[in-house]
Amino acid sequence: MLAIETKNLIKKFKEKTAVNGINLTVNQGELFALLGTNGAGKTTTIKMLSTLILPTAGEIKINGMDIRKDRQRIKAILNVSPQETAIAPNLSVKENLEFMAGVYQIPHKQEKITQLVKLFQLEEVLKQKAKTLSGGWQRKVSIALALINDPEILFLDEPTLGLDVIARKELWKIIESLKGKITVILTTHYMEEAESLSDRIGIMSAGNLVAVGTAQALMEQSGTQNFEDAFVKIATGGDLS
Amino acid sequence: MRTLNFAKRNFKEIMRDPLSIIFAVLLPLFLLFIFQQFHIPNQSYELQNFTPGILVFGFSFITLFTGMLVSKDRTTSLLIRLGISPMRPVEYILGYLLSVLPIIAIQNILFFILAVILGLKFSINLIFAMLASVLISLLFIAVGIIIGSLCSEKASSGISSIIVQLVCFTSGMYFPKEALGKVFATICEWLPFESCVTIIKEILNDRSETISARNIAVFSLYTTVFFVLAIVVFRQKMTSDNKA
Ligand SMILES: Nc1ncnc2c1ncn2[C@@H]1O[C@H](COP(=O)(O)OP(=O)(O)OP(=O)(O)O)[C@@H](O)[C@H]1O
Ligand SMILES: [Mg+2]
Repeated sequence: MLAIETKNLIKKFKEKTAVNGINLTVNQGELFALLGTNGAGKTTTIKMLSTLILPTAGEIKINGMDIRKDRQRIKAILNVSPQETAIAPNLSVKENLEFMAGVYQIPHKQEKITQLVKLFQLEEVLKQKAKTLSGGWQRKVSIALALINDPEILFLDEPTLGLDVIARKELWKIIESLKGKITVILTTHYMEEAESLSDRIGIMSAGNLVAVGTAQALMEQSGTQNFEDAFVKIATGGDLS
Repeated sequence: MRTLNFAKRNFKEIMRDPLSIIFAVLLPLFLLFIFQQFHIPNQSYELQNFTPGILVFGFSFITLFTGMLVSKDRTTSLLIRLGISPMRPVEYILGYLLSVLPIIAIQNILFFILAVILGLKFSINLIFAMLASVLISLLFIAVGIIIGSLCSEKASSGISSIIVQLVCFTSGMYFPKEALGKVFATICEWLPFESCVTIIKEILNDRSETISARNIAVFSLYTTVFFVLAIVVFRQKMTSDNKA
């Protein structure tokens, strides 16, 4: 079954068209990277797919359920790590995890929290107030929070932004360990990240989904030797090469 | 329960930034104390009449900081996370409501303790007045949620202070509503604040039979309408494009 299916998905903010008729399918268990220049419409697409904002027009099906009719059921099976770090500032890391576990009504919440603390190596900051953490640590906590409900579909909007090289490599490992088990949609501005992690890549430009395929296929399609060149060529329509 | 979970978090968030509560508790306490030192020869300022006014005045600060809490939450990206979660608008509203109730209780207890120290006669009616005032506080919480849903943090504090002023002038706490003429008195009657003070005052003074049907109707109507409005406005904001 398809995890995500959109038909002619459109989002307009007043006059501005942020997403311009996207047809996208993502298979269950697939790791799909969404690339595009600043303002291409990646975050807006993720916001619509994750029930945060309503599309202006078009259809979205998540695991076969309609985004407008089955909102509540869809919400239970997905989660998002937003582009901006999203944590409760005056709560400690542990309290943040407990709070989100409560929001999702997780049955064995201490077990789940212990598991996430181990996975993201949060022991040393567990008691610290979230607002006093460094940007990179806040990011890690924000991503850990997105796994609290064992989502079937996980959206990661620029997850590695602001992480140091080591933290980034560690996060890649975590993301790879999710591969095949859950569907992951990831946006990033790091080409090597998309290339090495994802099963397929979609490239957005000015609200349109201009190419979809494996990194290999996209390089062949654009006739380039490395993936970064392929991205530049596709995203700019060939103007920069 | 999701509501309790959210209320717990809100309460922690409020307690760790305590400046606004200190304000909401200490300022009315100070006013209550200081006005009793002047011995103003006017019924309005006698303890049994002035304490209910101070209570409602204290609630207008609850509006202020409920508004600020809600608007602050809306502008941080935490609300993006919550907006994606299965929390429903009603659960948010009840969560905000429950988290400020302990502060209402603290206000209530401290105000009455001070009033008794200053010479208010203790009786069972005092307890009933406290219970009634918790009910009255619901109106002020609902108004806070609406303001917080519609305004930025800065604008919230500005608009809420209008409520503080309205309470001062139209509740009859400082002067009887008739003092500024007939039109003004009618306005006071149709705004909810005079009814709020009257209900608490008459219960405290064991004259509940003098609470008019208008008092009850005006208060209930405003409170119900504002709660429904709070839920509608909050829901609308959660799914809108521009949350800030
Ligand atoms: N709430 C909003 N109101 C008006 N315009 C918006 C809003 N949100 C996004 N936009 C516009 O929609 C377009 C797409 O924005 P979006 O955030 O989806 O881009 P993006 O691909 O995520 O970019 P980035 O890589 O910089 O994160 C931009 O032109 C942006 O200005
Ligand atoms: Mg973005």
